[in-house]
Amino acid sequence: MPKGFTLWFTGLSGAGKSTLAERVRDILLERGMKVEVLDGDEVRTNLSKGLGYSKEDRDTNIRRIGWVCNLLTRNEVVAIAAAISPYREIRDENRALIGRFVEIYCACDIDTLKGRDPKGLYEKALRGEIKNFTGVDDPYEPPGRAEVVIDTSCESIDDSVRKIIATLEQLNYIPAGDARGYTEDEEEAIKQRLRDLGYI
Amino acid sequence: MKRLVIIGLDCFTPQWALEQWRDDMPNLTALAEQGVGAHLHSTIPPITVPAWSCMMTSKDPGQLGIYGFRNRTSYEYDALKVSDSTWVTARTVWNYLSRNRMKSLVLSIPGTYPPKPLNGIMVGCFMTPDKSVTYTYPEGVKEVLDQAAGGEYIIDVKDFRTENKDQLLTAVNEMTAARFRAFRALCRVDDFDFAMMVEMGPDRLQHGFWRYCDPTHRLFEPGNPYQHVLHDYYVSIDDEIGRTVEAAADASVMVVSDHGAQAMDGAICINEWLQQRGYLRLKQQPTARTRLTSDMIDWANTKAWGEGGYYGRLFMNVAGREPQGCIPPGAYESLRSEIAAGLETQGDEDGRPIGTRVLKPEDVYREVNNIAPDLIVYFGNLNWRSAGTVGDRVIHIRENDTGPDDANHAPDGVFVWNAAGADSFRRSDSYSIYDIAPTILRFFGLGVPEDMIGASIM
Repeated sequence: MPKGFTLWFTGLSGAGKSTLAERVRDILLERGMKVEVLDGDEVRTNLSKGLGYSKEDRDTNIRRIGWVCNLLTRNEVVAIAAAISPYREIRDENRALIGRFVEIYCACDIDTLKGRDPKGLYEKALRGEIKNFTGVDDPYEPPGRAEVVIDTSCESIDDSVRKIIATLEQLNYIPAGDARGYTEDEEEAIKQRLRDLGYI
Repeated sequence: MKRLVIIGLDCFTPQWALEQWRDDMPNLTALAEQGVGAHLHSTIPPITVPAWSCMMTSKDPGQLGIYGFRNRTSYEYDALKVSDSTWVTARTVWNYLSRNRMKSLVLSIPGTYPPKPLNGIMVGCFMTPDKSVTYTYPEGVKEVLDQAAGGEYIIDVKDFRTENKDQLLTAVNEMTAARFRAFRALCRVDDFDFAMMVEMGPDRLQHGFWRYCDPTHRLFEPGNPYQHVLHDYYVSIDDEIGRTVEAAADASVMVVSDHGAQAMDGAICINEWLQQRGYLRLKQQPTARTRLTSDMIDWANTKAWGEGGYYGRLFMNVAGREPQGCIPPGAYESLRSEIAAGLETQGDEDGRPIGTRVLKPEDVYREVNNIAPDLIVYFGNLNWRSAGTVGDRVIHIRENDTGPDDANHAPDGVFVWNAAGADSFRRSDSYSIYDIAPTILRFFGLGVPEDMIGASIM
């Protein structure tokens, strides 16, 4: 049974964390891993319901997600967190707690994010209708030692997913998707068998 | 929870299973009467590889880029590689089920060596080199397979081309029994949503015994000691189906084959034919029957060469494509049509028509990925095989060039399913091999991906 680990997506709103988290989740499920995604937006509707966007509330939210990720990880589940998680200190606290922790920094320049703005949040934040919006009037501290850095303003989703999966394979956290094919000797033996069977 | 068990039988043929011997196969017949019993139309070509992979992905051979056991990996003359599971890049049924948190047991479905990870267990197919390699996922399953088989788990029969028919018969019977035992035992180790096995025995036995059992075969002798071998084997398969249905308890059970079988009348020596028509020139004529290899060919004066097998594959030597290509690209299409027409009109030794069909890949596939043969040849509409050897100096041989064989593949296999609610299914006497994957996904309440080319029968 493969061991669990936590895959932590951090980055500004709209940077692609949830999209990538879902794509990676599907691949890991196909490879037989047990996987759960803790998405920041969803967590705020249950686990962290009632918390706001002050520094204190944000830290509490991220610590709660980290606490659940730790429980899942030690039970051989891959926990995928997709949350803005703006403060380095709290992310590093989670890393220390969990151990098998892979940080994915979804970088994206603010102009691209304003252009994307699928929920219209940046527009509202810039108009001052939303306060404490990370990247506009609230700080974001990029990771200093993320295992994977993705610039979603210029990398395709497929490329980003490949990069993440390759890193997890290199870390030996997930089974390789493809084993090696035949050696020359094996192929010759198979060919002879196929000849005997009349296939070729 | 819905569970589905699929028994795949390579080359299990409908004229016997669903017609001639149906009364002697009560378990299969009962499944059909509870639900559906029909033909299952195979891929072009109707060959184990790629047919099972096409069934499991609902993609045609051109889309998969797998045209047979061996495929060209470049336009070099010797670049025919045996395809393995790494060639199957399209999503399989168990990929979709795994993604939806359902567990699969995949035992020996062709196109699964080397095994890939999934949510469940995979045992690699008969293309596994031998039992020393890693051929299961998880790896540890290999260690319990012999025990599960109640003896030795057998990847495939050895020494298939033996004249010792008794030995072959014993070997196939042992293999089939061991594999069914292993399947039923593995089914019990976890709560699988989907469990599927493929048994190669019907194919192996039919190729070895057809002439003894089919009264329409030209070499059939009434009263020969092997006359009932295939009948008895089908009855024993039915017995295994019965035991598996019983072990499957409340699971729905489907029986499928990748293609059927029919009598083989003879073989057309494709490379002799090409030589006689001036399309192929050898540096030197061999004095005895020899497998054609690229070093024997005078490439500068050769326009086409062929491969043997249950169907013929023809490759053309095109300037700018093959290393010593001599067909100007502008002449390719007219020459291809000329060769196709010539092959189609080639009759038997006495000039009687045999009904050969020659297909162009782009006419029969939705896409043509990797390198397809230039022509796909069904000699005698698959009542004849293709012999690739040279040296006989004749076009027709009545025996297979690579050892005794009296059966060829037929395009229709078997589809039997004791599905609940079958009365409301799309009715047909013949479903498509591409309908299986969509039907499985629908059975589990999943959507059918748009890129699957078949349709759910539910």
